[in-house]
Amino acid sequence: MQLREPALNCADITSCNGRPCEIEVSGLSRSFAKTIAVDSLDFRVGRGELFAFLGPNGAGKTTTINMLTGLLKPTAGEIRYHGDLFDPQQLRTKQLIGVVPQHNNLDRELTVAENLLIHGRLFGMCGSVLKRQIDSCLMFADLSDKRDTPAGKLSGGMKRKLVIARALLHQPEILFLDEPTVGLDPHSRRRMWAFLRRINQEQNCTVFLTTHYIEEAEALADRVLIIDQARIIAGGTPGQLKQSAGNVVLDIYNGDQIDNEFFAERSLALQRLEQLDTSVRIRETTLEDVFLQLTGKRIE
Amino acid sequence: MLLHGARAIYLREILILRRKLGKTLLASGVSPALFLLAFGYGVGRGAQVSGVDYLAFLLPGLLTMSSMNQSYGISTEINISRFYFKVFEEYLLAPLPRWQIVVGEVCYGITRGLIPVLIIGGYSLLCSIDLRFSILFLPALLLHLAIFALLGFIAAMVVKSHSDQATINAFLITPMMFLSGTFFPVDQMPLAIRVVASIFPLTYSTQLIRTTLTPGMEINYALYVVLLGILLGLFLIAKRIVSRVEI
Repeated sequence: MQLREPALNCADITSCNGRPCEIEVSGLSRSFAKTIAVDSLDFRVGRGELFAFLGPNGAGKTTTINMLTGLLKPTAGEIRYHGDLFDPQQLRTKQLIGVVPQHNNLDRELTVAENLLIHGRLFGMCGSVLKRQIDSCLMFADLSDKRDTPAGKLSGGMKRKLVIARALLHQPEILFLDEPTVGLDPHSRRRMWAFLRRINQEQNCTVFLTTHYIEEAEALADRVLIIDQARIIAGGTPGQLKQSAGNVVLDIYNGDQIDNEFFAERSLALQRLEQLDTSVRIRETTLEDVFLQLTGKRIE
Repeated sequence: MLLHGARAIYLREILILRRKLGKTLLASGVSPALFLLAFGYGVGRGAQVSGVDYLAFLLPGLLTMSSMNQSYGISTEINISRFYFKVFEEYLLAPLPRWQIVVGEVCYGITRGLIPVLIIGGYSLLCSIDLRFSILFLPALLLHLAIFALLGFIAAMVVKSHSDQATINAFLITPMMFLSGTFFPVDQMPLAIRVVASIFPLTYSTQLIRTTLTPGMEINYALYVVLLGILLGLFLIAKRIVSRVEI
């Protein structure tokens, strides 16, 4: 594997992509005993953005979401929502947030509608407002005909949709999703992507998602932050990230290994191609290549 | 909405309890029935304890012990919802003061604790034992149930795994069941056991509930104050722990 020095511009991660700033994170760190799970993160998320946090398992994505939602206290650094310092004891800010955890933390004995009812009550909703919102969320998630089914009897994809519908019930301004499509088959995953886009566009919701699926970040996100070993290593729009690495890549087959060479333009790649006498493939750069170029390893 | 968080948590627990009511009734009824057969009709048949028939002495003790088990039993449910199903996260994410989580769960613990009370009340009729369900019994019972629901909640918050929970049960709950006067009067035990029993809240609630239920026994009103003090102390501890708890 041929590696080059990282040459990516990370300046973009501290802007709000031309939008009003919704989330502002500076110096955010968290340690567990002697292990640093998240190390000095700085980034901003703009209102209405679909923002992806991409990294391998164990990179610090879930710890970051847990701090952003008040489930974990940071060891250092600060989080601001609309410029105000986030205090998990401050209930007004929590009202703005919807959270979809990595696991489907549903009450399996309760029906679909009862799961939503309890969530609504926890968020102070009641009466006809709550009833209307439950109906609306069930319709949005295409689960109206399952309202009296115990949550434990739903398929994996339906459970995931119910967890998302539940997070949307109190009409949050920001939706955090931790690995929203993990465990879903490719078909369900693509349907989930369409569902998330609808949430972002139709519900006018800022979406912050973590994923270790490269194609998910590429397909969905306005901007991507790449995190590895607790630190942000690059950030920007998928286009910017690929452009920084080089838009075109040559896969050069050398026996058992594949070397990559990146080029700004296809013509430059073709010139190089002519100089090589081994098996070569020319293709467009992906975010996987960007990650590989930065870290020397693939996202798993 | 007043106490919306506590009410939501209580509603959730009651909806789940409704789904498994049959199992809960069975679990609440079998154990005291077996103790009643073994100790009441086996070992203690015809015996007199503290001036009353042993069966009349035993039944209030069983009522107190079984209701304690059910109220304290919320610890296992919270533990599972916290570490396995992760439902507890929903409470931590919701915009509610965290002490409301304590209130909701304790109210549920009290409700659960009432189930064996009703069952053992039925047993007293079957055994023709005259229990005096007076107005003084109700506050004693509520204090007792709230204390053990709080202990269950605290245990569920401080443990780090399911096995920790089993350890607490083995070293705290089981000794408490056998040394707090359920089966034998504490004042007839050796000094070492009396000292140990004096640190168990079950000793005081058993004594108070027994005297409020048994005709002819004198009620020690100071025990209401003792139990109220324990309740307030445990609530403050639970409030402090839950305000710091992380997933």
